Amino acid sequence: MFEKFQQAFWKALTPDLVADQASTPVATAEETLRPEIVAALGGEGNLKSHQRVALTRLRVALNDSARVDQSALRAAGVAGVMILAGGVTHLLLGLD
Amino acid sequence: MTATSSLELLAPLSGVLIELDQVPDPVFSSRMIGDGLCIDPTSTVLCAPLAGVVSNVQASGHAISITDDQGVQVLMHIGLDTVQLQGKGFTALVREGERVTAGQALIEFDADYIALHARSLLTLVLVVSGEAFTRLAPASGLIESGAPLISIEHNGASAGPVLEEEGEALFSSPVTLPNANGLHARPAAVLAQAAKGFAASIVVHRRQDSANAKSLVAIMALQTVRGDVLQVSAVGEDAQAAIDALAALLAEGCGEAVEPTAVIDIPVVVEASSPTLLRGVCASPGSAFGRVVQVAEQQLEVPEFGSDEPQERASLERALDEATQALQRLRDNAEGSAQAQIFRAHQELLEDPSLLEQAQVLLAQGKSAAFAWRQVTEDTCALFERLGSSLLAERALDLKDVGQRVLRLILGVEERVTEMPDDAILIAEQLTPSQTAALDTRRVLGFVTVGGGATSHVAILARAFGLPALCGLPAEVLKVPAGTQVLLDADLGRLHLMPEEADVQRLLVKRQEQRQRHQREKEQASEAARTRDGHHFEVTANVASLQEVEQSLTLGGEGVGLLRSEFLYLERQSAPSVEEQAETYSAIARALGPQRNLVVRTLDVGGDKPLAYVPMDTEANPFLGMRGIRLCLQRPELLRQQLRGILACAGLTQLHIMLPMITQLSELRQARQFLEDEALVLGLKALPKLGIMIEVPAAALMADLFAPEVDFFSIGTNDLTQYTLAMDRDHPQLASQADSLHPAVLRLIATTVKAAHAHGKPVSVCGALASEALAVPVLLGLGVDELSVSVPLIPAIKAAVREVELTECQVLAQRILGLENAGQVREALLDHQHTTALQPRVLEN
Repeated sequence: MFEKFQQAFWKALTPDLVADQASTPVATAEETLRPEIVAALGGEGNLKSHQRVALTRLRVALNDSARVDQSALRAAGVAGVMILAGGVTHLLLGLD
Repeated sequence: MTATSSLELLAPLSGVLIELDQVPDPVFSSRMIGDGLCIDPTSTVLCAPLAGVVSNVQASGHAISITDDQGVQVLMHIGLDTVQLQGKGFTALVREGERVTAGQALIEFDADYIALHARSLLTLVLVVSGEAFTRLAPASGLIESGAPLISIEHNGASAGPVLEEEGEALFSSPVTLPNANGLHARPAAVLAQAAKGFAASIVVHRRQDSANAKSLVAIMALQTVRGDVLQVSAVGEDAQAAIDALAALLAEGCGEAVEPTAVIDIPVVVEASSPTLLRGVCASPGSAFGRVVQVAEQQLEVPEFGSDEPQERASLERALDEATQALQRLRDNAEGSAQAQIFRAHQELLEDPSLLEQAQVLLAQGKSAAFAWRQVTEDTCALFERLGSSLLAERALDLKDVGQRVLRLILGVEERVTEMPDDAILIAEQLTPSQTAALDTRRVLGFVTVGGGATSHVAILARAFGLPALCGLPAEVLKVPAGTQVLLDADLGRLHLMPEEADVQRLLVKRQEQRQRHQREKEQASEAARTRDGHHFEVTANVASLQEVEQSLTLGGEGVGLLRSEFLYLERQSAPSVEEQAETYSAIARALGPQRNLVVRTLDVGGDKPLAYVPMDTEANPFLGMRGIRLCLQRPELLRQQLRGILACAGLTQLHIMLPMITQLSELRQARQFLEDEALVLGLKALPKLGIMIEVPAAALMADLFAPEVDFFSIGTNDLTQYTLAMDRDHPQLASQADSLHPAVLRLIATTVKAAHAHGKPVSVCGALASEALAVPVLLGLGVDELSVSVPLIPAIKAAVREVELTECQVLAQRILGLENAGQVREALLDHQHTTALQPRVLEN
């Protein structure tokens, strides 16, 4: 709590001193998404990037997460959907 | 049992249910820890599945267990291998011992951060107390947070009390814990599982703490860390087999891959205390003979409820005001900068809005001002202490102290004045800064405390006053009657309660001689430091404040050889502005004047010297991480701003800028480029001198390549020693060997000097070695041009220079370079000191 506060404060004062959270994806080969999933995420144009993370998840960065169609995702076999801040959405695909 | 009741556990998270068998981590899927369920979360707040008490929250915030009144214990573990995040991404919302209701929020987590940085977010919900349960939720699919998850039948049988085995306990030899993250869930489970295989009752010990080895949660609650020394004890028939097996298991890492650690042959070297001899840890060197004064904390009576809210509010605000003023007076009258800084920190604590806000809430509930204030300070202290860093734990003492000060003002209670003899040795559980400030330090000969460590205030103040101090004594020291004559030998970590007359006499004679020598050295402090054969050496000061600069000038300092610029960045919430920096550097430059040197070292912080507000990723080994120039080049604006601040004093003194932790030539070149850029912006024609610290062996070995590109070298012997010998100077077993007089370190100094002189560049030594009188002959003999020393030691080092002959030192230094170890070097130097002390003093004649 303290640390977060201090970090925010410090960053506000000296913007270049604090590295932004490194979004270094674990380099997994880009797999192509099934078309029904792309459609449920609002189409190719809404999709900025995607990567497999944390064993069960597909992390997608979207331009507009309001365009996510949760029931269509479910119909496409996605077990769970987690919409996070900043256009990031996790699709829970289960353990292989 | 006839009355069986059932307990329903609620889903702690929303998410996708997963069978425990499927979880790709054998510790969980094998049900070694306990049976339960797994949820892949879609919500980010972990809530209590049942009402009960938080029996354990891991410091890293990724695991928590709740125990209900019937003894049902549920462990929740967020993610797989998340212990490695070391708390990042997790915020605990409750604390250990707190009673929680079912559904109460326990831990908030940053799902995206964890997904990107840990193996998985799969969250385990496990019944670790072993009751059977039936599943209320489907085997797979989605579940909502708070929905019924499983039902547990209380049967009373499984939670039966552990029978205490009678008999003599057997102890294993000490084991140093090799696990990088201590005994967290996984290794703790392996250990508990193994312990359950024995009939004996088994306990794991760490210092004074202990835990039932068969209880996973108890082991986790020990919050062990790597390097902790553990012992296993057992009572019962198979006790010997149990301790053998478990000690071996602990040493192997309890199923985790670990780096091998050295086996400890000798049990930890804290000698046992005896009734007349108590042992502790040296916090400030020296020795003293005096009478005991026990300093006890004042107990204050606090009414819970107040008269009316506005009145209580006014009373709190008035007390805070008065306390701030009192602290200002203490700051102004402080006898040293160390003390002034402590009271400044106290003022800042009082200004913290969160304390006041929390107190207002309690006032609104009708509590008295005193009660509300005590409650919030105690809570915040507990928070500091729980965060696990020793640095913060010691700040908790500050908060307690300042809290007590305000409390006294609210209650109108006078501070108790301790009656003191002229030769007081103060004994306390823990001395607070306020207590020490209220003391007449001229009457104090030494400090002895039960708590505290090398960074505690007692240690800082004792060192600032040059008084011996001993920390970490057994609590029985508090029972020593006031007035008892004791011999405090901090160097050896001993407090003699019934000292031998001969020991006392020896000490008194030694002190008398020391005092006379100090007196003589001080009288001659302003004279130049010239060797017997007439060579002049500059003795300058290591400082961290304007006050110290001024003090150094009165003690004969001939300039500043090391200004530790970190002081500008400490104890504040934000980086200092360029203007503030410029003002401070200029004030110091003016105090020194245009003739003297001022060497400013640029910001030298890193994982080992953390600044509260410079966020840094936790490093496995901060000494080999982002420190000094590395950090500054990674965050260039920090360095540029500092250079701008420093350059503001360019015309006022002989300005030198020094870069710490230089390893590569490219670092020097990049920093020089910054300096030239900033000088150009300011329109400076002449650049200040730019030099580097030699503290990494690489820089010493490449000094011939660095020399043409610098204006000077300054050798930081503390870091150079630990990097050369690969020994941490604070390591409990190695500290005594991490000696800067090791021939390897001296050879690096010789290499550096040779390279510098070949290019006509001067070399100074600013590390602790320069402040050691014994080392002066070898440093001068190796060709060092200047010694920069800690302020109080300036007269002693100047005196040491005056005692030697340079040509003799050169011969001695060459001989020393061929010796085998630091012990031999010290012996040679002691011999030399004896022979020179016997020679007549040329200068005095």
